[in-house]
Amino acid sequence: MRARAVSLATLASLSVLAVGWQVGAQANASMQALSAPQAAPATIPAPSAGPATPTPTASAPAVSGPATVSAGSTAPAVAPAPAAPAPVAPAPAAPAPAARPTGTFTGSTVQTRFGPVQVSVTIANGTITEVTALQLTNDGGRSVAISAQAAPILRSEVLSAQSAKVSNVSGATYTSKGYTTSLQAALDTAGF
Amino acid sequence: MDVQTFETMGTVVSLRIGGAAGGTSGAAVGRAAADGGRAGVPVPEEALAAVRNVFTRWDERFSLYRPDSEISRIARGDIRLTQASADLRDCYAIALDWRDRTDGVFTPHRADGVLDLSGVVKSLAIAEAGEALLGLGLSEWSVNAGGDLLVSGDHSPGQDWVAGIVDPANREELLASVPLVAPVRAVATSGSAERGEHIWTSAGGGTSPYRQVSVIGLDIVTVDVLATTIVAGGEAALNRSIETFPIEVLAVLRDGSLVATAGLRSGPG
Repeated sequence: MRARAVSLATLASLSVLAVGWQVGAQANASMQALSAPQAAPATIPAPSAGPATPTPTASAPAVSGPATVSAGSTAPAVAPAPAAPAPVAPAPAAPAPAARPTGTFTGSTVQTRFGPVQVSVTIANGTITEVTALQLTNDGGRSVAISAQAAPILRSEVLSAQSAKVSNVSGATYTSKGYTTSLQAALDTAGF
Repeated sequence: MDVQTFETMGTVVSLRIGGAAGGTSGAAVGRAAADGGRAGVPVPEEALAAVRNVFTRWDERFSLYRPDSEISRIARGDIRLTQASADLRDCYAIALDWRDRTDGVFTPHRADGVLDLSGVVKSLAIAEAGEALLGLGLSEWSVNAGGDLLVSGDHSPGQDWVAGIVDPANREELLASVPLVAPVRAVATSGSAERGEHIWTSAGGGTSPYRQVSVIGLDIVTVDVLATTIVAGGEAALNRSIETFPIEVLAVLRDGSLVATAGLRSGPG
């Protein structure tokens, strides 16, 4: 799988889906770690917003995420796991020349935790003008757009209200007995 | 801030009154000074009594662990559903409505055929307690029943109520702290951290991929039902819930990793 991940990553410069998908930070990051050197340069010298407003790989949201979560790219086979929704860097069929590429590129089918995904990308003079989903995951009738809404996240990336006091804790229901040792009991006692 | 707690439904309810320190809100006026120097607004006696009454009533009627409750009598066949109180039938109707809205993942029908309304009873009680508080002229408060939370108004002037989401792996730690900015008013968490596998994973059987699911949204019944639904129905239920309802979700998978909707990500940088 690793080899596969690498091959995918090298093609990540057309990371169209990474955008529409807001891929989970971790996997994306790890993919980028792999892809950065070879891929980024240049298939799309001037990536500007096409209809799908694709963003170049380099500015994808996950850049800052450390590649600590292994699940996504190194062990995608682990099924319902924590895994990142493999940032689908669809493989364009033809690597673009140094000059501004033009044409329609069809990616290979990529297995993600949401199911198989395949896209084609139309590029005109180095600019993505259209992204078409040839094959989308259909697990439970859901599509890519929805998969994007709940994505893997690192603990350090979860919202933490600044300078505000927590006065209530939500957790799986505690019993009356469990309450006495709960964080809520501590907050209640302290009067937060 | 003054807090009052009491036991009910096998858990503990924590009631807080928000607003200005020193007490300017509704029935709290006048009692603040008598509050032994503690900062914040004391919980008025009538507020505590009202909330307690609401929970007691729901608990007595809908608890299967009470052999004398109405729902236990239905479970035993002592009375028929058609003979049940309007309250119980209303509650059943609400549960059935949620069954439909969750594609059957959430259901009041236990595998053994017993009618179990506990999936909605606690949150309905919380909602009614909130109504009771508003009826007393109190607009700033939080009601936390065993980890499911409904708030109104502000914690203090200019400061939202902030809910912490507990880490199921270490219940003394928080995974996140989420300001509840109106109209977002409710948080519910389901999982196996405290009570074991108390959620029936009817759909397909097996264990839930989620150890804990927290749902944040507009009203307590919706977030509570959906938290249960997502634990029971797994990823498909998660995706469907996010698509259908205006909610934020933070889910902890079996291995401890997290999945979250965009609203629960910390800002850039």
